[in-house]
Amino acid sequence: MAWTWFHRLGSPPYIYGLAARLTPWFAWSAAVLIIGGLYGGLVLAPPDYQQGDDFRIIYVHAPSAWMSLMVYSTMAISAGVGLIWRIKIAHAVAAGCAPIGASFTFAALVTGSLWGERMWGTYWEWDPRLTSELILLFLYLGYMGLRSAMDDTQRADRASAVLAVVGIVNVPIIHYSVLWWNSLHQAPSVMQLAKPTMPPSMLIPLLMMLFGFTVLFAALLLVRLRAEILNRERAASWIREAVTQ
Amino acid sequence: MSEFLNMGGYAAYVWPSYGLTLGVIVLNIVWARRLLAKSREDARRRLAMRGEQQV
Amino acid sequence: MNTSVIEASSTGTSALEAARLVLARDIRLALRKRGQLVQPLAFFAIVTTLFPLGISPELSRLRDVAPGVLWVAALLSSLLALEFLFRDDAQDGTLEQHVLSGQSLTWLLFAKTVAHWLLTGLPLAVMAPLAGLSLGVPAAALSGIVASVAIGSVALSLIGSIGAALTLGVKRSGALLSLLTLPLSMPVLIFGARATELAIKGAGFAPPLYLLGALAVLGITLAPLAAAAAVRISLE
Repeated sequence: MAWTWFHRLGSPPYIYGLAARLTPWFAWSAAVLIIGGLYGGLVLAPPDYQQGDDFRIIYVHAPSAWMSLMVYSTMAISAGVGLIWRIKIAHAVAAGCAPIGASFTFAALVTGSLWGERMWGTYWEWDPRLTSELILLFLYLGYMGLRSAMDDTQRADRASAVLAVVGIVNVPIIHYSVLWWNSLHQAPSVMQLAKPTMPPSMLIPLLMMLFGFTVLFAALLLVRLRAEILNRERAASWIREAVTQ
Repeated sequence: MSEFLNMGGYAAYVWPSYGLTLGVIVLNIVWARRLLAKSREDARRRLAMRGEQQV
Repeated sequence: MNTSVIEASSTGTSALEAARLVLARDIRLALRKRGQLVQPLAFFAIVTTLFPLGISPELSRLRDVAPGVLWVAALLSSLLALEFLFRDDAQDGTLEQHVLSGQSLTWLLFAKTVAHWLLTGLPLAVMAPLAGLSLGVPAAALSGIVASVAIGSVALSLIGSIGAALTLGVKRSGALLSLLTLPLSMPVLIFGARATELAIKGAGFAPPLYLLGALAVLGITLAPLAAAAAVRISLE
């Protein structure tokens, strides 16, 4: 019984239909979480005793940074799955991830820079975390550039998959850089769930934003996945019904 | 209200950050939807061409 | 020309033996086209000359920027040299022979990359101290420069082989190759420049040198695998 579910996951028309049905749920949930998080972060949370209202940038910076890493991991894992087991839909998923990840990496870098200007007195510093996050942006751009340079979809899929998998080393480097090196960037404060150093009034909006961005990613990916499937399933008969509704 | 907009003096850093991030979110939504619309349009056109060929 | 590798596979030769044959062949062929080998080195020399012209002829000021200048020039030069890694073999079908030969493609590509390093990276390590002198680097720092460039260029050649393999079929791949290779090469640049900087100051430069070594070892173990996968994909 479990295998029918698995086999259906490889069937493009099934995925297309499923994606179309799920997207509104994810989209509206994301909207609620993000708007709620924005309100909580901008209005309800008290100012930080050290940074005043400047700390509120965390409500856009941390989710963006989280997205940059989470999306790349998703991209690399699906690319790897597509490469190893030759599952075409996995390549379509990876392709959809890249533009989303790149744009949020950019957002993370810029919001981090604005936050850092007041906190550390400089817009930029070549410390390990910032540098490797910048490298992540270049990896995304390289992935997209490599894809667009190849006309043959299959070759583009597989070549970019190799690149995505090779670049995954950067993700743990970004995450652990603040622990491994003396970095300007602060040590993780959210991940210590046992004893969080943030009061609930500050923490809850942050969690809402993190969760909201993740759900937004799901919605965006589902939309892009549908586009990818349509582009790839050129001759399939099920398309007629899907696009003429 | 003006206190809120002033963000304790950090307005020049906080609001552009929020603006940029929300801009990125909106960009992603618009971009993804446009891509899907284009793919659907391409598929419709391909079907129409094939339909004409069969006639 | 490539019969030695084909013979090797048909007589059941080991992967190591086939790799050795490829290494010898690549070096022999490259030495026939010595002009090609000089180009990246000439590029390196020219680029390092541009900085004094652009910044200031004062040696004291140049000494401060020397680590960065040397390493950026080395990085760009090695990027240029990557064009030669697979191009000829891809064009005349030898690369395809390697893939079809039944020998371990990973080992063959590793051999090609080693040959490439001997022909481009090692000469760079010899030239770098000369460029350093022109930038006001004290003589005591030269051994540090040679060591760091020698080890760092190993990592650069290996990292570069992945990008070169991925862009095999792409026309005018220069910019794309740079976009793929440079981000992954940044750690080499960072540690190499740090080692050079410490050497110039007369301090111990062993830590960054060890890190460069670690990057080189990581490259040796993983890069040929990725490059082999990429070559197979590019030649499909």
